Amino acid sequence: MSEKKIKNIFVNGPVSPEFIANSIGNHNTKTDIGGHSIFLGQVRNDEIDGKIVSAIAYTAFEDLALTKMHEIREEIFAKYPLSCMHIHHSLGVIGAGEICLFVFTSSKHRKPAIEACNELVERIKSELPIWGKEIFADETHQWKENI
Amino acid sequence: MEIEIISFGKISEFINNQKLSIDVESTDDLKTHLEKIFPQLVGMKYKLALNKNIVQHNCAIKDNDSIAIMPPFSGG
Repeated sequence: MSEKKIKNIFVNGPVSPEFIANSIGNHNTKTDIGGHSIFLGQVRNDEIDGKIVSAIAYTAFEDLALTKMHEIREEIFAKYPLSCMHIHHSLGVIGAGEICLFVFTSSKHRKPAIEACNELVERIKSELPIWGKEIFADETHQWKENI
Repeated sequence: MEIEIISFGKISEFINNQKLSIDVESTDDLKTHLEKIFPQLVGMKYKLALNKNIVQHNCAIKDNDSIAIMPPFSGG
């Protein structure tokens, strides 16, 4: 159950819909799974002081983020009876409308998958050293803050 | 002694990654010094990581340690 190897969660650029579709398809041999839960974070074109966000540039303290994600992964596997957990977070410039976070959990019955997915998203946003710089159409920027 | 400073997010816009010759004993000590050298830090929310571990309580600092200065996280 518990995975000892530290997995990389970072991908350069957006998470593509094809990647997500393939990831779902890869589970068709795991026939003990009864429910998947998926969260997709998408870059939103917020308006801030009259300017529209056209993209978010993500950077991370990667070593620390991966170590922390490993701890979170172990804790979530210990807390919920999950069959699978997959996490992918973008780095670099992600345009409005593109996917920047993909969290995918699977279990025998739906509830653990749904609850684990929610908890993972909350913990990723609050505990991983990742920063988003909101880039406006006029190339000015401001640093995003998670609410 | 010499320590390595790395910075992230909006803090990286006014603190470059650098080696700093400084005499401090602890992370609390270091914060006081950093806020003197980089007054933009005063009043900002930030966390330190000492050798890739997030600093929760005051920790001792040794020669050649690496310190990350991190503003609030905004992933996802």
